[in-house]
Amino acid sequence: MTPASPISRRSFRVTSAGLLAGALAFTAACSGSAADDKKGGSSSGTLKIGLTIPLTGVYAALGPDLQNGFQTYLDQHGGKLGGHKIELVITDEGDGPATSVPSVTKLIKQDKVTAVVGLTNAATVAANVQVVNDNKVPMIGAVGRPGKIDKPDYVWHTSYLSEEPGVAAAPYIKENVPGAVYAIGPDYQGGWDQLRGFTETYDKAGGKLANPDGKTKFTPFPGTTNFQPYFTEIKNSGAKAVYTFYAGTAAVNFVKQYKQSDVKDIPLYAAGFLTEGAVLGAEGDAAKGVFTSLNYTPTLDIPANRSFVAAYQGKYNALPTMMSATMYDAAAVLDKAIAAAGDKVTPETVNAAISKTGKVDSPRGSWEFNPSTHAPVQKWYLREVKQDGTALSNVMVRELGTLG
Amino acid sequence: MGWFDDNFIPAVDGVAYGLLLFVVAAGLTLAFGSGGVLNLAHGTLYAFAAYTATAVADGSWVGLALAVLAGIGAGAAGGGVLAALTAPIAGRGHMAQAMLTFGVALVGGDLLTTWFGKDDPQVLVPGALEKPVSILGHNYPGYRLAFIVVAIVLGVGGWYVLARTRIGAAVRASVDDPEMLAAGGISPARVRTGVLVAAGALAGLAGGLGAPIIGPSTSVANTVLLQSLLVVVIGGLGSVGGALLAAILVGEVQTLGVTLMPDLAPYLLFATMAVMLIARTARFGPTGSRV
Repeated sequence: MTPASPISRRSFRVTSAGLLAGALAFTAACSGSAADDKKGGSSSGTLKIGLTIPLTGVYAALGPDLQNGFQTYLDQHGGKLGGHKIELVITDEGDGPATSVPSVTKLIKQDKVTAVVGLTNAATVAANVQVVNDNKVPMIGAVGRPGKIDKPDYVWHTSYLSEEPGVAAAPYIKENVPGAVYAIGPDYQGGWDQLRGFTETYDKAGGKLANPDGKTKFTPFPGTTNFQPYFTEIKNSGAKAVYTFYAGTAAVNFVKQYKQSDVKDIPLYAAGFLTEGAVLGAEGDAAKGVFTSLNYTPTLDIPANRSFVAAYQGKYNALPTMMSATMYDAAAVLDKAIAAAGDKVTPETVNAAISKTGKVDSPRGSWEFNPSTHAPVQKWYLREVKQDGTALSNVMVRELGTLG
Repeated sequence: MGWFDDNFIPAVDGVAYGLLLFVVAAGLTLAFGSGGVLNLAHGTLYAFAAYTATAVADGSWVGLALAVLAGIGAGAAGGGVLAALTAPIAGRGHMAQAMLTFGVALVGGDLLTTWFGKDDPQVLVPGALEKPVSILGHNYPGYRLAFIVVAIVLGVGGWYVLARTRIGAAVRASVDDPEMLAAGGISPARVRTGVLVAAGALAGLAGGLGAPIIGPSTSVANTVLLQSLLVVVIGGLGSVGGALLAAILVGEVQTLGVTLMPDLAPYLLFATMAVMLIARTARFGPTGSRV
């Protein structure tokens, strides 16, 4: 025992120092909450919500769509969610986990947010699952969602599962395209999931890919800016249609180059992001006639959407995109959950309340969370890019059924 | 005919891409060869010019001409700034200057997003150039085809200036023997400034003309710098002819390589560089940088 005693004495000192620090922190926390109480009680105190959205990188153009969607809901509800004034803390998602993990960690540890919202990139979500589960803070993603999350305890999505645009579109494409379809997409988590959704469903429906090796062609991400060589391969494959998923700048390059190449007359089907939001404006006429599959179109003619589109257009002078709608819904979900958490609003009680959200009356129609995936059970739509008044728009063609 | 027909478009595209890289890399190799500056902000100059050109272009032919001129102006101005910044440390070797230009690239990249936003803007080019052109039964983007023609004209013009004019002679002399040039009554410092401005103008010209091919974005500066460095390394530092061949090679590797060896495509570029470096080291020895 003797040799061990100096160490144990040192560890005692360390422990007591730690206890002292802990006690100090505890006192500080208590006095902090006491101060809050004086300001008007814990049930109506200001809450912080963290937004992690792309401010830089390939998806930077999507950032404003996300933020504006969330803000539209706040504006319509007096800046409050569930009776609490909301303070937004915004951090950068960047191109993936290298930027987003520190951003989400900072929101949780330093800003002590009640929930983290946003997140466009499926790889970003995957990397942060552990972070939010460990810290027991709900994370509501509004765009990309990796295909498989083993424990989505604190992970929610108001968007979809990344496979679903392809799953929804495949049966329609099999029925309406007389021949093989060429599948192509970006080489990262989001691209793999998106394309797998299409190819698996298409395969089950009895379709055969036009790709020479029978497998999806994946292009380097985010490096690919020149798609000409791939178009040559598509042409040589004899494909009767193309199915793809690209977003951001890559989508603009793909669509513009497509319409100037040998494959310009081959019908182009895609997950909705190919022609969504700012991207569509940049593509211009080259996007005309592109068919996409998504859970939202601003032309959806239901009251909830009409009022959402009017409010959004009034403030931002642009049509809302799917990302604006899913962020709007994220705010709606938090509104309900924070109210349901009652007097004890903590990240944990809010997370528990989210699981009991029930039906959300959304601009895209009513939907609810699937209890096992924590993503929406919702309708899907086939849209075609057409001239709508002075602007191009993703005009509804038909419903593709319910998934989730 | 089948093989040729299948790969015709990627081959043509490789030339377009290669010529664009050549214009950028020519500036880089000029700045290093005669200006003595390993300019790591060269890609940033391209980005600056591409953003500027995009802001100026309005979809008309006059707009296109103005956009290219604005791109050249932006690049040249950037080159002038670099010349002024690097002048005080001109005697401290390549490393110090490379670090300085690297810093300029970081600050410049940030300034560009502040000025032009984080979106990746799209260039408006005249409608006639947006249409596909049919060559040998294949559709190819009109703008790229026009670019190939313009780049060849520019290349011939550039060669003429360098090989046949007094200014070209001064530039070549500043590479080979700056002291002798000074003895001839031409200030090497002025040649150095002139060379850096000209190198910037080349990056600007590439940015102005190339914006519809490699468009302005937050990552374009790095992409262009990396690929033009590859061109310069493969072609041999300071060698314009080598840079031309290397640029076409890099262009073809990135287009034809994708269709011929799809599985290896992501690695081909650096594999090419490795092979070229090994081959050259074997032929000229480790320091034989000039072909």
